[in-house]
Amino acid sequence: MRTDPVPLDGLNLPTPKQEEWKYTNLARALAPELLNQKPLVREEIFIHKSRGQIGGEVEDILCEGAQGQHQQPRLKIVIEDGAEATVIERHTGSGAYWTNMTTEITVGANAKLHHIRIMEDSAQAVHTNMARVTIGRDAVYDCFSLNLGGALTRHQIHAVLQGPNITCSLNGLNLLAGGQHCDTTILMEHEAPHCVSNQFYRSLLDDTARGVFQGKVHVHRPAQKTDAYQLSNAILLSPGAEMDTKPELEIYADDVKCSHGATTGPLDEGPLFYLRSRGLSAAEARMLLIQAFVDEAIEKIPEEAARDEARGKALAWLTTRLK
Amino acid sequence: MIEIKNLKANVNTDEGPKEILKGLSVSIKPGEVHAIMGPNGSGKSTLSYVLAGREDYEVTDGSVTMDGANMLELEPEERAAAGMFLAFQYPVEIPGVNMSMFLKTSINAIRKQRGEPEMDALSLLKLLKTKCKQLGISDEMMKRAVNVGFSGGEKKRNEVLQMALLEPKFCVLDETDSGLDIDALKIVADGVNALRDPNRSFLIITHYQRLLDYIKPDVVHVLADGRIIKTGGPELALELEKHGYGDIIDAVA
Ligand SMILES: Nc1ncnc2c1ncn2[C@@H]1O[C@H](COP(=O)(O)OP(=O)(O)OP(=O)(O)O)[C@@H](O)[C@H]1O
Ligand SMILES: [Mg+2]
Repeated sequence: MRTDPVPLDGLNLPTPKQEEWKYTNLARALAPELLNQKPLVREEIFIHKSRGQIGGEVEDILCEGAQGQHQQPRLKIVIEDGAEATVIERHTGSGAYWTNMTTEITVGANAKLHHIRIMEDSAQAVHTNMARVTIGRDAVYDCFSLNLGGALTRHQIHAVLQGPNITCSLNGLNLLAGGQHCDTTILMEHEAPHCVSNQFYRSLLDDTARGVFQGKVHVHRPAQKTDAYQLSNAILLSPGAEMDTKPELEIYADDVKCSHGATTGPLDEGPLFYLRSRGLSAAEARMLLIQAFVDEAIEKIPEEAARDEARGKALAWLTTRLK
Repeated sequence: MIEIKNLKANVNTDEGPKEILKGLSVSIKPGEVHAIMGPNGSGKSTLSYVLAGREDYEVTDGSVTMDGANMLELEPEERAAAGMFLAFQYPVEIPGVNMSMFLKTSINAIRKQRGEPEMDALSLLKLLKTKCKQLGISDEMMKRAVNVGFSGGEKKRNEVLQMALLEPKFCVLDETDSGLDIDALKIVADGVNALRDPNRSFLIITHYQRLLDYIKPDVVHVLADGRIIKTGGPELALELEKHGYGDIIDAVA
């Protein structure tokens, strides 16, 4: 479906004055001329697993951006009670474009969804992505984002854990270079007791790349025995790279286990020296340590084929960056 | 022959360079075991790091040679290939890198530097099995990340394991006995003794006579404030155990 171009100033874009957009200036990244050239493209993708449906094919979907395009894909995933699915979502493209995507996911009671996102937008692309996930009792939802592309990307995930005994894991690996900017903003809402949530993000930032991790865990009063964990580790490969982290906990229940942590800095000297003292050259030692850092994130991908694919892409990135 | 002559070294601190080694000399002949004892903060670990080539230390004077070759101009990995080995006082954790992968990478990195072919997987496996058994290291430990979650004793055993695998010419052991219970101490000491060889030299840093009961040193040095202030035979260690460092330091002052 196509509609007329939308003028930028009519869009009411967020600005860094808003707390949630403090580190990401969307308006500045969007080149107005490209957005007005072509009509807006709205595309709808719908994935549906009916009650109890398990063992189907992996759903593999692709979104492609093209020069001068403003597109607003809408992804809707419904996994009914007791169903299981794996969805791989890929983003690629060429030239300068803006993908502004909304994702709506419903995971029913005792259902399971593995969601893997491989983000390889073009180097000039802007990609904003707002995902809202509602999860029912005894269900499992995990999402892994491999972020390699885009000039500016923002992944917002709002997960709502509505029933007891849910496991929700949001993990990711950001491999960024040049002037890339990648923002991950999460709101994990625990509404029910006995749920587990994990957030585990790793970033490698080279040149003047900038990463943002804002993760908030909101534990509502009924959500006793919540176990929530949040971690962001970033390695700065160059002095010009930057990482902003803002972990937040908002807890209204009194019997919960919540922890968060963040590390940002260059590669540790200690392990480097230890490896060199065992015969590895400085380059070999760096590569081994960085590969291990990356691998610990990739290990979180539950599907073997996707895991191997992500590992391959990460390795290719590492070999071009670390000579 | 290891010759450390008039070695002076600074550590770089936030407030600028601070001199830790203030003209230290030790010569170790092939096959000899030398022990270095000294109060906390006297510079023992600094010496071990300077020998291994850690970058935050700056050598301002003196020399270190191994069979005549200048060690100070070599990178840490080149020193390892030349046959220098440091068993760390505080072995470093390397998350995400499992033990067998690390050991294999290390062995082959040194072989590569020496222009030798890589060791094939099967011989490597056999070698690992034998050495682990000697040191009471379980197969399960080989699957874990290097030093991550290891007990103090396991970390120290792991250092001796690496030493046994790399077969260095010059072994520096920095408090490898600290934190070991008596059984572990015996295993570690046996591991070291098994490596004693007419062509291999040892420099053993320790606070305790206990270790030297198992590994008989040829020479004992006392290090205080960055200098060797006394050198003697094994009896010197016994004397220190009885009377502490006070008398010796006072006698020199
Ligand atoms: N990075 C550093 N910054 C500042 N001071 C340092 C640094 N490294 C070492 N030192 C200082 O250098 C001195 C010697 O330290 P070193 O670790 O060599 O002592 P040591 O003899 O090994 O002691 P121990 O018996 O406790 O292991 C100490 O006073 C220590 O505080
Ligand atoms: Mg020490």
